Amino acid sequence: MAEEKSLEGWAPTLDESLTIDEVIEMAFDYRGNTTIVKTDGSAVEGYIFNRAAEAREPFLEYFDKSGGGPFTLTYSQIANVEFSGKDAAAGKSWEAWQRRKAEAKAREVARSTGAGGENGC
Amino acid sequence: MGVPLTQMMTVSGHVLKQKLLRRKRYPLVLMLEVLFKCNLACAGCGKIQYPAQILKKRLTVEQCLGAVEECGAPIVSIPGGEPLLYPEIGELVEELVRRKKYVYLCTNAILLKKKLEEGLFTPSKYLTFSIHLDGMQADHDESVCQDGVYDRAVEAIRMALGLGFRVTTNTTLFDGAQPLRVRQFFDDMTELGVEGMMLSPGYSYSKAPDQEHFLRKQNTNLLFSEIFKEKKKAWRFNQSPLFLQFLMGKQDYECTPWGNPTFNVFGWQRPCYLLQEGYAHSFKELMEETRWAEYGKASGNPKCRDCMVHSGFEATAVDKTFTSWKGFKDTVAATISGKL
Repeated sequence: MAEEKSLEGWAPTLDESLTIDEVIEMAFDYRGNTTIVKTDGSAVEGYIFNRAAEAREPFLEYFDKSGGGPFTLTYSQIANVEFSGKDAAAGKSWEAWQRRKAEAKAREVARSTGAGGENGC
Repeated sequence: MGVPLTQMMTVSGHVLKQKLLRRKRYPLVLMLEVLFKCNLACAGCGKIQYPAQILKKRLTVEQCLGAVEECGAPIVSIPGGEPLLYPEIGELVEELVRRKKYVYLCTNAILLKKKLEEGLFTPSKYLTFSIHLDGMQADHDESVCQDGVYDRAVEAIRMALGLGFRVTTNTTLFDGAQPLRVRQFFDDMTELGVEGMMLSPGYSYSKAPDQEHFLRKQNTNLLFSEIFKEKKKAWRFNQSPLFLQFLMGKQDYECTPWGNPTFNVFGWQRPCYLLQEGYAHSFKELMEETRWAEYGKASGNPKCRDCMVHSGFEATAVDKTFTSWKGFKDTVAATISGKL
């Protein structure tokens, strides 16, 4: 079974092979808060829920960490996006749940045959 | 079928009006996601996987009514999250019923008994509780990752029916579903007395990590053909017979992603209830500026390749009923005979 990969904790290094547009696209797909580093050196933490990469002036929209917003930033105002918040989707797939359930069942069998274990779902 | 005549007439009138106005794209059901918060955490559900500040957000009643007005669909489905966690749910439903919208309140029913006891809702032909049940007790409790949910839902269904509410079930079938068990579930729900059942094959949300578990098209056709083999006449479904035939592989349809537009705290979701490719700031912007040609089977979009879900194809099935003699004939034949 394939491991579920998450971008959680990743602070991208932008270069010729990775543009800010690509990072923003990944941040849009990310199910956690990000830290948006602005070109003026300031940073804001929030959840990016929308982006318009093909608009005349490309922009993204986000709610900040306290739920305030929505706020808009143009791509030209953004230097980087770091995947700083917990990924709410990580480990939440059906397969992960089935795997945990099978492990719990195995532990239960082991316990009934004399070995120790604990519940999990 | 399980849809009352007055509702059929309203939907028919809406579709015919759109045809007369020569509108190529029109909505049938507004998916009004009042909040994402839920009291369950079902595996693979992409609707609840957000950071805390997003799960705390909810639409205001004014925003909801504004969206209903903008959209103009005759049916409003309130999914979630869990809409019974929405503090203003009673007020919202009352306002929608006042506007003669057919409301499908989609709930896991964990809180339904309590809300009914509190007298939060009044029975109406415009209000239906659409109870999420993915099969018999063991199947459903496994699907929602919590024991005891099926029993609570059935208890709430009995109470709602006893109070005179319209009640349907809403079932998503995943890979590994057992046709005989699904048929037994239909028998159980029929005996329970629900008005009708709604079915859909599962599909992965684009942002959810689960991409392998959901049903592929061929498997879907096989599964539903088995389920509906020698279909019992007593089973009633709250959806188009053409959609059920589509699930069986007897009809070949293209998706109608604008048929069930979705509005939530982020805005109007592009392009459909399942995919989240961005948000429009108004319904007009959604309809006019979304690149619809990039979605559906014909587009070659891999995200749409195996999708056969209710929110994308029920609108197609309804449209076919009114735009082709074959669609009309097949619908009438299935409705009268009870056969698919």
